[in-house]
Amino acid sequence: MTRYILGRTAALIFVMLAASAIVFVLMNNIPGGPFSLGERGYSPDALANLERKYGLDKPLLERYVNFVVGAVQFDFGYSTAVAGSPPVIDVILRTWPVTLQVGVYTIVLAFGLGLVMGTFAAYHRNSPLDNFITFTATLGIVLPNFIIATFLLFIFGFQNGWGEPNKIIIGPLTPGGMPVLGWDYFLPVITYALAPMALVARYTRAAVSEALGADYLRTARAKGLTDRTIMVRHVFRNAMIPLLTVLLPQIPNLLTGSLFIEVVYGIPGLGKFFVTSILNRDYPMTMALILLIAFFWGLTYLITDILYMVVDPRVRLTSSRAR
Amino acid sequence: MLRKSAFVLFCLSALIWALLLVPALSAQGGNVDVYGRELPADAASYDMQVWTQLCDSTRTETSFMSAVTVYQRICGDTHMFDKLGDSLVDLDENLDLIPGAAESWEPSEDGLSWTFHLRPGQVWTDGTPLTAADYVATFRYMADPDHAYDFVWMWQGIIKGWSEAVAGEITPEEIGMEAVDDLTLIIHTEGARPYLPGTVYFWPPLQAKALAEIGPNYVLDPATSVSSGPFVLKEFAAGDHLYLEANPAYAGYRKPFLRELRGIYGDQLNGSFLAFQNGDVDRVNYVHISPADFEVIAADEVLRSHYLPNFGDFRTDYLFFDTYTAPFDSLQVRQAFAKALDRESIVSNIIGEQFGIPAYSFLAPGFPASDTEGALRDIQAYDCPAAQALLAEAGYPNGEGFPAVELKLRGESDARANWFIASAASISECLGVEITVNNMQFSEFMEGILARPTTIQFGAVSYGMDYLDPSNMLGVWVSTGRHSWRNAEFDQLVTDAGVLVGDPEGRTQMYKDAERLLVEDVGGVFLVHRIQGDLFQPYIAGNCLRPDRQGVSALHWGNDWCWGSFYITNEVANFDTYRSR
Repeated sequence: MTRYILGRTAALIFVMLAASAIVFVLMNNIPGGPFSLGERGYSPDALANLERKYGLDKPLLERYVNFVVGAVQFDFGYSTAVAGSPPVIDVILRTWPVTLQVGVYTIVLAFGLGLVMGTFAAYHRNSPLDNFITFTATLGIVLPNFIIATFLLFIFGFQNGWGEPNKIIIGPLTPGGMPVLGWDYFLPVITYALAPMALVARYTRAAVSEALGADYLRTARAKGLTDRTIMVRHVFRNAMIPLLTVLLPQIPNLLTGSLFIEVVYGIPGLGKFFVTSILNRDYPMTMALILLIAFFWGLTYLITDILYMVVDPRVRLTSSRAR
Repeated sequence: MLRKSAFVLFCLSALIWALLLVPALSAQGGNVDVYGRELPADAASYDMQVWTQLCDSTRTETSFMSAVTVYQRICGDTHMFDKLGDSLVDLDENLDLIPGAAESWEPSEDGLSWTFHLRPGQVWTDGTPLTAADYVATFRYMADPDHAYDFVWMWQGIIKGWSEAVAGEITPEEIGMEAVDDLTLIIHTEGARPYLPGTVYFWPPLQAKALAEIGPNYVLDPATSVSSGPFVLKEFAAGDHLYLEANPAYAGYRKPFLRELRGIYGDQLNGSFLAFQNGDVDRVNYVHISPADFEVIAADEVLRSHYLPNFGDFRTDYLFFDTYTAPFDSLQVRQAFAKALDRESIVSNIIGEQFGIPAYSFLAPGFPASDTEGALRDIQAYDCPAAQALLAEAGYPNGEGFPAVELKLRGESDARANWFIASAASISECLGVEITVNNMQFSEFMEGILARPTTIQFGAVSYGMDYLDPSNMLGVWVSTGRHSWRNAEFDQLVTDAGVLVGDPEGRTQMYKDAERLLVEDVGGVFLVHRIQGDLFQPYIAGNCLRPDRQGVSALHWGNDWCWGSFYITNEVANFDTYRSR
């Protein structure tokens, strides 16, 4: 197990290096750049000054090596697109907690409600309740979140002033910290949660339905186990494996935010930088986020594999060398 | 005993009278601003004097001072920037120069320098006097190669030594900026530059002391930010909100009635009108109002009457070519394209006559040296048979053999992209040539247009003024400008007119002649002069919205003194706005 985790961790580091190298080369070779924003463009002198200022005058390989050396120390350089050109790590540390908070609430809502809905639907297969849940889940999947957001804004009013004192429900736990919950969170979380909730509900329904029809349940009932024991020990446990495969990878998406949700609701989070840093050619920010997302996805798959083993003892994890 | 009771009675009655009179007196004279001025009679209470606009969550933003950046200003479309200081001069609603931080200015006898006299008594919020040295430090900072300023072109060839300083050949201390004393600033120019005062109107100063001790980002943190302007930084959280509040120490020419300016970040492009309808913002610029929103405005009497059109920055949208390579190296091909563009139909059916007027030349009507007589109108006017004949003469009868071309756009909104899709359709239909439209990313487009050789064979773009002089607008068409079009005579006229002093009529004529060359040689195919505008809430008022010489009431481009004039009227009580929630 330890060897397996070490092997996967080494592979993750390689993936991060490869992803960063590919993005670095692509980013520096597509047309346009961080200083192609003005009406008239820069004079050659001014452009040379800018490139020198941000270290873009150095050869590509040297810049990449500098980036890797800096990244190991969590120094990703300075943003070219955020007010005051702050260190990228400062921007991430300032904005990610907001995104994380919205993401955690979204996960709780989407997974909590989705699991309950899916289980009920499976338990009452082909009943009106099942039909209603299936219809709702389908609607959640097919309706794009920009439609949902627009309707919510029309109905409940425009949102701005994120975190204003009059909108806080549960204040910060530490002085100067972020509010725990505010009215501002409701619409973004509902908008953000609908699609994953629908997905969770549909997959849960399918997995639980399959488990409910399995032969071992008949045996379990014959042994005199209670319904609750059967559900927890047998149905849920067996239904978990396909659910883990499909649903856990949703989590990195939700915890790294969404451009659309953050822009529409004016959330000062990290999610929008995944798109705007590329559009604005903020190279240091883009590179930092690539590493972040590569790390997050690699970690998620590692955790998923470990959870397989916990849920299903038949699964044995081995590193390639051990095999 | 009696005396004691009388004393207690007196005290009690005095207290009652005080309780009754104080609120009454304070209500009578209480609606005053931080300068102790009485607000206009129809103004809402001072605590309601707050102004909010929506800022764009997706923009690159680095500072709210133009001296630090122009293209990356914080809340760039909202006029929230440059409120922490005053420019030397300002513009009124007629685009005439008015005193700003400088109360007067005059050229030297030889025309090679301009002297600005600052108003006495202006101070920074830390008590330091505002002096000419602050302006000198600001301009030196802008010219400093280590700063890598994004607008250095503005004074290249204008301020003495500027280009050399930007190139690192001399130090920024050697540029032609001189503080003679605390209140006297001299700007030395490369030659006679009659239009120089117009170029210094949107550069409020940075404080020399803070710039030296902390650097240009001192403005971003309320703890270090100092202001000599009408507002002072109260709170700033990048990507979340920006609050400015009236500066009580301000001694300039535009003391604000507004207590606070607020910028809230969100979906500026798609959310502005929604926020406006919800009473969350007080002004929306026309670029953030969609065609569907405009239909709502047109159908609503109140909204319609508070949408105030203006000339903006005299922006013209046009098509351009790479004239250095085939097929657009042929004048006849360019003329054919110009005459195949049915701009009147596009303006009336696609753009809307309230948002633009057909353009037959580059300088919009009203701009100095523009073709107000219509003398250039026929040169590029729509004439499909003539266009077809020109294309046939160029060797492409009925468009046969003409290569398929791509019209590249600069990251336009869907609504504006439709203007150019219609333009491509008009030309294609008339000439029988194949034109596809590619709406590129902004930075990719700009890199392509500026590259030599350019990577944009056929494109569409707009341009608006930076200062009110033809040298600015026509400057983009000189051969060292942004287009791959060269006309030696045009270059010469624009260069010569730029330094001509003492003959304003002759100078104007030179620019008119230059523009004629541009139109005849088809450097560009001109589509529309934009009519811009702002939607204001009905409870916004201000003396600055008075009619200009043409009778137009609007927030005019460059009219920055307006921010000392705006106020919220007591009509706000009839609306559900963020103030009352």
